[in-house]
Amino acid sequence: MKRPLALSLAVLLLLSGCSSTEESTTIFAMDTVMTLTAYGSHAREGLSAAEAEINRLEKTLSVTREDSEVWAIDHSAGAPVTVGTDTAALLNAAAALGDRTGGALDVTLYPVVKAWGFTTGDYRIPDAEELADLLTRVDDHAVHMDGDTVTLPAGMELDFGALAKGYAGEQCASLLKEAGVTSAILNLGGNVQTVGAKPDGSPWRVAVQDPEGESEDYVGWLELTDEAAVTSGGYQRYFEENGVRYWHIIDPDTGAPARSGLLSATIVGKSGTACDGLSTGLFVLGPEKALDCWRQSDDFEAVLIGEDHTVQITAGLADRFTLREDSGYTLRIVEE
Amino acid sequence: MKQTKRLTLCALLTAIALTIFVAEAQIPPVVPVPGMKLGLANIVTVYAMFALGPGDTLMILLCRIFLGSLFAGGSTFLYSLAGGLLCYLSMLLFRKILTEKQLWVCGAIGAIFHNLGQMGAAILIARTPQLVLYLPVLLITGVIAGAFTGLGAQLLLARLGRRIP
Amino acid sequence: MKKTLSNRFWLILLGVIVAGSALAAWLLLSRVPTGSIAAIYLDGELVERIDLAAVTESYTRTYTGKSGITDVVEVARGKIRVKEADCPDQVCVHQGWIETGVVPVVCLPNALVIQIEDGSAEPEIDGAVG
Repeated sequence: MKRPLALSLAVLLLLSGCSSTEESTTIFAMDTVMTLTAYGSHAREGLSAAEAEINRLEKTLSVTREDSEVWAIDHSAGAPVTVGTDTAALLNAAAALGDRTGGALDVTLYPVVKAWGFTTGDYRIPDAEELADLLTRVDDHAVHMDGDTVTLPAGMELDFGALAKGYAGEQCASLLKEAGVTSAILNLGGNVQTVGAKPDGSPWRVAVQDPEGESEDYVGWLELTDEAAVTSGGYQRYFEENGVRYWHIIDPDTGAPARSGLLSATIVGKSGTACDGLSTGLFVLGPEKALDCWRQSDDFEAVLIGEDHTVQITAGLADRFTLREDSGYTLRIVEE
Repeated sequence: MKQTKRLTLCALLTAIALTIFVAEAQIPPVVPVPGMKLGLANIVTVYAMFALGPGDTLMILLCRIFLGSLFAGGSTFLYSLAGGLLCYLSMLLFRKILTEKQLWVCGAIGAIFHNLGQMGAAILIARTPQLVLYLPVLLITGVIAGAFTGLGAQLLLARLGRRIP
Repeated sequence: MKKTLSNRFWLILLGVIVAGSALAAWLLLSRVPTGSIAAIYLDGELVERIDLAAVTESYTRTYTGKSGITDVVEVARGKIRVKEADCPDQVCVHQGWIETGVVPVVCLPNALVIQIEDGSAEPEIDGAVG
C-alpha cells in the first residue's frame, strides 16, 4: 500500500518541479543593478521581453542620454517636443502625484538636484541665493502637455528619476503576465515589483532595509502579492560636510535636503509608478502629512521609519509586515 | 561431510536471526527513539561467536543485515551495517576475556558498540551532531536489552553445547 | 589460559555505564532550550526554518530525500511532527509532536531531522527595498 503512495508523491513532486523552473537575469540599467526572477515554463520569454523593455525605457527616459525624449524636452528651449506614450504617461502620473503630495514630488526639481552635485558626485552646498534663484525654475505646473506634444519653459529641466524605476517595474510586470508568467519578482535597484505570488502560492517576502544599518540589515519584512514596494531614504545617497549629512531627496519648497523626521518611507501598492513617486513625496512630507495623504488615498500602504526609531505601518499592512525582534525599532500600527 | 554440516548450521542460524529480526521489526516501538530496539537477533550473533567462531559469525551477521534490509526496506542498511560491524569487532575483542558463563556481558558490550556505530553512521549521514543527545538513552536500554539477549545466548550455549549438534 | 574477570566486575562496570548514561540523559534533557523555530534538515542540509509561534493555521509539507522516502510534516502553532512517512520503522511518526528543543524528531531512513531552535526566525527573503 505504501509504495504506490510514495510513487505518486514522487511523480507529483516531479511535476510541480517542472512547472516551477526558475529563470533569473541580472542587468545593469538606469544606473543600478536589476535582478529579474521569473518562474514557470514561460519564464525565459517573459524575462527577455522585460529586459528589452527596461533597455527601451532607459533609452527613452534617461536624463543624460542625448538621444532620449527627456533630453529633447530639457534642451528644447521652450519649443514643443513630440513624445511617445511612456513619457506622456509619466508626465500625467507625475502631475497627479505632485498634486496628491501637495507639491512634495516635483519632476522639475532637476536643476536643484544638479546644483547639489547629486547627478555627478561633485557635491557642494549651494548658498541661499543660488537656491532661491534655482527654485524659480522649479514648477511642475509649468509643464504643458497637449496630446503627444510637451512644452517645457526655457531654463527648466525635468527628470523622471523618482518615477522611472517604478514605471519600468510596472511595465515589466504587464509584459511578464502577457507572456504567461504568473510568478515573478523584480528587484530594480531597491525597488521591488512582484508578479502574482511565489510558485508555492505564498506571498513574496520583501525585506525593508534598516536605514541606520548596513545594506544587508533590515528592520522587518513585507508580504507582497502582485504588488510593488519602493523605499526612499536619506541614507541611500548622501554626502557629509562639517558633520552634517546632506541627502539626495530635496524638498521642492526649500531646495535643500528634506528633513522631515523620517529616515525612510516605503510605499506598497498596485502601481509601481505611484509607489515610486509617493515614496519620495511622503519622505519629503514627513510622518504627519504622509499619513494624511494615506488617509485621503486608497491605492497604497506605507511603512514610515522615523528618526525616533518608530516604524509606523498603515492599517492595511498590519498583517503583512513583520518587525524583526532584534531590530531596535518599535512598531506602531496607524489606523484610518 | 563436516563442511556441509557447518554450512547447513550457518544457514539455519542466519534464517533464525532473520526471522527474529523481521518479527521484531513488526513490534511498534514503545518509546519512540530513533535506533532503539531490543536487538533480539543479537542472540544468534553472540551464540555463533562462541559456538562457531568469528569467521562463521561474520558471514551470518552480514547475511542477516543484507537480507534483513531487503525485507524491511533498504534505507536502514547503512545504519545496521555500521552498528553490526562495530558490535562484531567489540565481541571479537572481548570474547578473549569472557567465559562461557559471561555471554550476557558480551551481549551488553555488543549492544553498546552497536549503538555507537549506528549513531556514528546516523550523524555522518544525516549530518546532525545533535543526534548524540539520544546516545545516553540508547545506551541505558542497549545495555539492559543486550545483557538479556546475551543471557539468552548463554542459556542456548549451555543447552546445545559448543559442539555442533 | 584465559584471563577472566568476575561477574561482579562486569556487573559493576555495566552498572556504572548505565548510571552514567542516566545522569547524562537527565542533564541533557532537563536543559530545555527556549525557542520556537523549527529547523528542518534533509540529508544534512537546512531546507527550512519555520517560526512555530507565527503559525496561524496548521499545514503540511512533504520532504523527499535522496533515499526516496517521503515524510509528511505537519506544522501547527507551537508544535511540529512527522504526520506520515513511508519509512519502514515509523519511529519518526511515533515520536509525535515536539514543542521544545530537547530532542529532535528524526527519520533516520530519510535522513530528515526536525529540530527546535531558538533565535528569531530568519525568514527566506525574496527581495529587499531600500
